[in-house]
Amino acid sequence: MRDCWARPVGDCLETLLAVKNLNVAYRSADGSTQVAVENASCEIGAGEVLGLMGESGCGKTSIALALLGLLGAEQAQVSGSIQFRGKELLTMGEREMREIRGSGISMVFQEPGIALNPVMRVREQVAEVIHAHKQMSWEKCQEEAQSALVRVGLPDTPRIFSAYPHQLSGGQRQRVTLAQALACEPALVIADEPTAAVDARSQQELLRLLQQLQREMGIAILMISHSAEVQARLADRLMVMERGRIVEQGRFEELYRRPSHPCTRAMLRAPMAADDAEELDFATVT
Amino acid sequence: MTHRQKLVGALVLLAAFQFLILFAGFFAPYGFAAQDREQPFAAPTTVHFWDTQGHFHLRPFIVDSESSEARVYPVRFFVSGTPYKIAGIIPAQVHLFGVEQPGRIFLMGSDAYGRDQFSRFLFGGQSSMLAGLIAALLSVSIGILVGGIAGYYGGWVDELLMRGGELFLALPWLYLLFAVRAALPLHISQWEVFLLLVSVMGLIGWARPARLIRGVVLSAKQRNFVVAARGFGASDAYLLRRHVLPQTYGVLLTQMTLLIPQYVLAEVTLTFLGLGVGEPLPSWGTQLASLQQFYVLSSYWWMFLPALLLIPLFLVFYAAADALQEIHKTVAL
Repeated sequence: MRDCWARPVGDCLETLLAVKNLNVAYRSADGSTQVAVENASCEIGAGEVLGLMGESGCGKTSIALALLGLLGAEQAQVSGSIQFRGKELLTMGEREMREIRGSGISMVFQEPGIALNPVMRVREQVAEVIHAHKQMSWEKCQEEAQSALVRVGLPDTPRIFSAYPHQLSGGQRQRVTLAQALACEPALVIADEPTAAVDARSQQELLRLLQQLQREMGIAILMISHSAEVQARLADRLMVMERGRIVEQGRFEELYRRPSHPCTRAMLRAPMAADDAEELDFATVT
Repeated sequence: MTHRQKLVGALVLLAAFQFLILFAGFFAPYGFAAQDREQPFAAPTTVHFWDTQGHFHLRPFIVDSESSEARVYPVRFFVSGTPYKIAGIIPAQVHLFGVEQPGRIFLMGSDAYGRDQFSRFLFGGQSSMLAGLIAALLSVSIGILVGGIAGYYGGWVDELLMRGGELFLALPWLYLLFAVRAALPLHISQWEVFLLLVSVMGLIGWARPARLIRGVVLSAKQRNFVVAARGFGASDAYLLRRHVLPQTYGVLLTQMTLLIPQYVLAEVTLTFLGLGVGEPLPSWGTQLASLQQFYVLSSYWWMFLPALLLIPLFLVFYAAADALQEIHKTVAL
């Protein structure tokens, strides 16, 4: 099963999302445009984890926002094609798009500290995701929100459910955003640096949880992270971006062993090289 | 003194003042229309505690020196007098203080008809404060609606609404009011005049709060949690109601406290010019209207007292607005 992920999707996995020649250009106040993503093409199969790596500011988050249709016309120019389950998203009406957001494609936003409303209880913030998609009473949504919070490993206590974001730890907050993203069991979750704001230990726990949930629910993940460690843990395939362009994509192991682009090499090997250097230093000292 | 303490202090003072006005019937010794034609333009009555021999009296008294022989009237508390209605419903006739007839106590002097200025000030506050409150509420509600929509949707909607707002800012509203009043029949009830005045003031004043709220909404909609909520499928109406507009409440509250004294003053000015409620209904404007005659102010300085009393009142409002703004700033950071 795992072997067929080596090839681009289509052979054995149903294509969930197909992006072709995606361009994103931000409009600035003086009328000029700033290109953020250029001719990006990729595919994600159902249940697959695709890693997206690149330096800060290379357009990773722009791709994520474009996929969800969160870049307004006055804010940015988006062209190309994004097909989700065979339907074109870029020309889709706002109402239909709203139904896809959260229940078809969902996103774990960067930095939970600012991605959660500071004056709303976390249970309500998860419940509002459910409320937006299911015809249920607000009370019922809240109950379901509680089980969503428990599913992401938060303790089953009223203290957590009725807490405000600032009363939770960074790791707990990140779990709340995860619960929001998973509440309506989407087919694809875009995880934008989900572990950037937490410490190493919480990162391990979160990655384990994400892996477990991904297997249980069979969701596909677009994992945006510049950390080779995170990608190694989860990604089946990897995509490397540099200055708005996708420079390389392929199976993770292959890219790791034989990176053909200098950027890929730098991204994947940099932390390892640092480790080597440390060992070297240690050797010379002793 | 922290901002929170300052706010609490200002609110307590305002509440106390509103309480006085709300229960004007009880706190005022006379009804607002009670006349004493014998004593026009009587100077403020001095309340004595010490008699001519230098003895101290726990119960204050007043001296009526107008009549041929000076008479002393002790000030009595919880006396029954002119009947009035508590909150306009429950009839009562107990007043906080008063003196026996034919003595008269005029704490702030009396006007041309011998009516007690103090009583009229308290009763007048009812219509003036109500006018300020309703007009401010009206302005702010239109402001939040227009500003919210303009800021949230941006583009041509924003352009249209904000240019419309500028038009309203450019209107010579005083003359517009004259025109509106002139267009209406001469004899309409006082209540109708009042409502008309208040609604025109409120309708004209929405542009400033709208611009302010638009600015807040513009930045509020960029906040990550708003984008996130949209990313989870929230509708525009829901986002505005649940995530965007709550961020404007601090500004709204501050704006409200700033607008109330502004509109109170507007009502006073308009009534002064004869556009507002008329005699015998009391309002701070009608009270001050007598100052239109120069000799009144030059001979009877106490006729100016209502205007002086408005200064501390407005200062307290501005202090509250200031504290609110500071608190909002610290919370937002």
